[in-house]
Amino acid sequence: MIKIENLEKVYRTEEVETKALNKVSLEVNEGEFVAIMGPSGCGKSTLLNILGLLDEPDGGSFKFLGTEIAKFNERNRADLRKRNIGFVFQSFNLIDELTVFENVELPLIYLGVGASERKEKVEKVLEKMQIMHRRNHFPQQLSGGQQQRVAVARAVINNPKLILADEPTGNLDSANGNEVMELLTELNEAGTTVIMVTHSEHDARYAHRVIRLLDGEVVMENVREQFTV
Amino acid sequence: MLKNYFKIACRNLWRNKAFSAINIFGLAIGMATCMVIMLFIADELSYDRYNKKADRMVRLTFKAVLNGNLLSFPTSAAPAAQTLLADYSEVQEATRLRQMGGVIFSYENRTFKEEAIAYVDANFFQVFTIPIIQGNAKTALTEPNTVVISKEAAHRFFGKENPIGKVLQNKSENTSYKVTALIDEVPSNSHFHYDIFVSMASYAPAKEPTWLSNNFVTYLVLPPGYNYKELEAKLPDVVEKYMGPEIKKSMGLSLAEHRKQGNEVGLYLQPLKDIHLHSDYTNDLQANGDIRYVYIFGAIAIFMLLIAGINFMNLSTAGASKRAREVGIRKVLGSVKRDLVQQFLLESVLLTVLALLLAISLVYLVLPVFNELAGKALTLQLANNIWLVPGLLMFGLVVGILAGCYPAFYLSSFRPVAVLKGTITKGKESLNLRSGLVVFQFFISIALIVSVTVVYQQLTYIQNKKVGYDKEQVLVVHDSYLLGSQEEVLRQKLLADPRVLNASISSYLPAGPTNSNNSVVLADNDASKSVNTNQFRVDYNYLPTLGIQLVTGRNFSKDFASDSLGLIINEAAVRAFGWNNNILGREVSCFINNKGDKAVYKVIGVVKDFHFKSLHQRIGPLLLMLGDNGGSIVVKAKTKDIAGLLTALKGEWTSFSKDTPLVYTFLDERFMQTYQKEKKIGYILSIFAGLTIFVACLGLFGLATFTAEQRTKEIGIRKVLGASLPNLVSLLSRDFLKLVLLANIIAWPLAWYAMNKWLQDFEYRTSISWWVFILAGALAILIALVTVSYQAIKAAVANPVKTLRNE
Repeated sequence: MIKIENLEKVYRTEEVETKALNKVSLEVNEGEFVAIMGPSGCGKSTLLNILGLLDEPDGGSFKFLGTEIAKFNERNRADLRKRNIGFVFQSFNLIDELTVFENVELPLIYLGVGASERKEKVEKVLEKMQIMHRRNHFPQQLSGGQQQRVAVARAVINNPKLILADEPTGNLDSANGNEVMELLTELNEAGTTVIMVTHSEHDARYAHRVIRLLDGEVVMENVREQFTV
Repeated sequence: MLKNYFKIACRNLWRNKAFSAINIFGLAIGMATCMVIMLFIADELSYDRYNKKADRMVRLTFKAVLNGNLLSFPTSAAPAAQTLLADYSEVQEATRLRQMGGVIFSYENRTFKEEAIAYVDANFFQVFTIPIIQGNAKTALTEPNTVVISKEAAHRFFGKENPIGKVLQNKSENTSYKVTALIDEVPSNSHFHYDIFVSMASYAPAKEPTWLSNNFVTYLVLPPGYNYKELEAKLPDVVEKYMGPEIKKSMGLSLAEHRKQGNEVGLYLQPLKDIHLHSDYTNDLQANGDIRYVYIFGAIAIFMLLIAGINFMNLSTAGASKRAREVGIRKVLGSVKRDLVQQFLLESVLLTVLALLLAISLVYLVLPVFNELAGKALTLQLANNIWLVPGLLMFGLVVGILAGCYPAFYLSSFRPVAVLKGTITKGKESLNLRSGLVVFQFFISIALIVSVTVVYQQLTYIQNKKVGYDKEQVLVVHDSYLLGSQEEVLRQKLLADPRVLNASISSYLPAGPTNSNNSVVLADNDASKSVNTNQFRVDYNYLPTLGIQLVTGRNFSKDFASDSLGLIINEAAVRAFGWNNNILGREVSCFINNKGDKAVYKVIGVVKDFHFKSLHQRIGPLLLMLGDNGGSIVVKAKTKDIAGLLTALKGEWTSFSKDTPLVYTFLDERFMQTYQKEKKIGYILSIFAGLTIFVACLGLFGLATFTAEQRTKEIGIRKVLGASLPNLVSLLSRDFLKLVLLANIIAWPLAWYAMNKWLQDFEYRTSISWWVFILAGALAILIALVTVSYQAIKAAVANPVKTLRNE
């Protein structure tokens, strides 16, 4: 599904040049659940942003579903993104002015889905996330766990092939955190590819494979069997 | 999608109530001002266009240069209309109007002094499109002693009775006039307004063949598409043919010789549509507008709208960091820039529409006040104007899109990665632009403050100017000529009152509307020393009553029978005559009628120059002669008990005349009346200045909020490191002060230049003092400081632990 080779990302200021990613190569197959780990500043968020088509690499190749997209412009990336990728953030990133229902509905609006179909889909996913009773509340009226469930609902509403999660449990207590991890696992089991950035070894155990970054380079890859022994 | 945008927009407005209110209110003020001014300008530009033939009508005007003095009148000679009609085939129609002073008319027991009266030719209502309600436009004024009156005048005299066929009496002339037609009223956007039109056939001077007396306003109708300049080019022939011989006869000089002495005389044409805004004649039919004020107000309208729009931009971008996260999320979820631009534009249009609704209500609210100030009858009638509603909507849409464009593109260009990680720079790059906008706003505000101050300085100057006569505690009793021989008796009775210092009979007053008499005289009986002078007919008490000082010679006296041909002149006349010594006893020959007959007067005294005309004009040569031209009684009181004196006066007046009302004015009020226009300009400018400053402050407030927000972290760190509250407030205010100072530097020279030009209109004027600029600058800085310090203090007292954790 994803194949990157020698991917580079450089941040420049007037005096310093920082290599956030230095010739990173990796491959993620369809249906995989991959965790990316590493200390602060190792480049894992940069990598996730590039994988999520939010940021563009400075060098190397990036094939998404077999298409080379390293040189795609903002418009094409936006289009590809809204059709194929769902995002879950540490800080939930719900729009405060919209209700639960409207937040979840938003990606469908951008996809041009009709109103009745939107309603049906949103209700279905809210049911699934057990948050239906809160559909008309605003984000601030919800607990952290509930907000993240809404965020996950929003991420999966258009059946993306790929879900990118940036420390999805970072702002949650352990009970709520586990719940979210269960959700991601369920989605993965249903066929969605999941790539997750995390600090937590506990969360990483849910993944099939863990990629460890340090100073912009992949330093280790372990599959679960070895890892969990 | 639209629904979603709309929902977000509404919730955003509601959530940031204070911000939205400031934004909407600021924009509404700008729009309302702009709308009022547009109504004003539309009205000014519409003058006289109600006439169906407006495009091809011209007015004949007279201009002459006499010994270096320019005379220009909107009037011409009585025979001009007929002559031009007969001699030039391009003149299709010609009609005349002769304005009259106040005339007292009565019908049965109702008596009114009618101020708005004119004699007009029989074809007047065929040339001008003034709708006749009753009667026949073609024949109404063919007979002598017939009048066409307005509905309002008819109501005054006849109540609900049918006015047609009724007869109005003019007691002073012992004549009567039959009402033959009724008009609605002269449209408000006309360069003349009369309630009563008297047939020209009733007016003997209308038939006099003299070309040197210019008392008739002559209007000509030219063929469609004809360039009036072509006819104007032929007018020198008319001057040569008809005026030449009369000049020769009265002055003893041929036109060519007259011109050789540097004099000039000519007839010109002025398009009807130019009369209201492009006239600068002595004694026009009514106070005209001025194209310069149209430009000034137009500029103010544009500036107000600009300032309000700038605010809108400043406030919208100031709230940007709050919206940044939303933009980021939307982009992550698949929104492209175009969607976001649309969304933000929709929001600004929504805001503008709200502002527009508020603006319309504001306009309804302030129009009566503005009308009062501007002497207009402007209305905003949505129902009567089919273009008004779509026009206003378009206006709102355009303003919304223009003002919303910058915030929309600015906000939608946020990069989601940066926004969501909170590392957004929050638009430092656009700070320069916004600072520039603040400088612009304050530049306008300061320039307006300077202008207003100068206008008021000039008004104070006028008020305190020593005019050379007493205007305090001087009462003018009008229309005393109606008392006939009793006029002098009333004057004697008033003189006997211990509260009265002196009293004089004359209808020539040095202040306010008055009789005036311009006439050319020959100094030393020398035809080459012709001088245009003003002449006042006065009595023996005129000088002492008004406190006018003699420089040399004496006042008129009953002891000298020869004083009927005696002359008291002012110093300006002495200079104009070129006299250096032995002034007393010198002779001046004056025309005594329109036929060119002259009488020789001897100078018996010289008075100090006094301002017998407005301070716009230099004091010209003035001749005072004895005359029985009664008209009003000028009373100088020596008491503060004016009320008591008035009661006594009323008693006396009624004992002489039961059916005519007592009309009186005070000379100092009449004096200030001359400067109504300047007063109004002063008022209007100060209102605009206030509004501009207010709206500019809203903008500054927005920018201060923005900056404070942007520098939260910096402030937090500084506080942790020990910065005090004053340190921080001055840190945050300093930048704004720099902007306002810069605005001052730009505004000062421009305001100085503009106001210097304005003052040129006054022959007697104040000088612009340096402190005006300092005052305006200090005021602007003070206002800016107060506005900014609110946000600065708020940011400075915030708990640094919180602000730092936010990052």
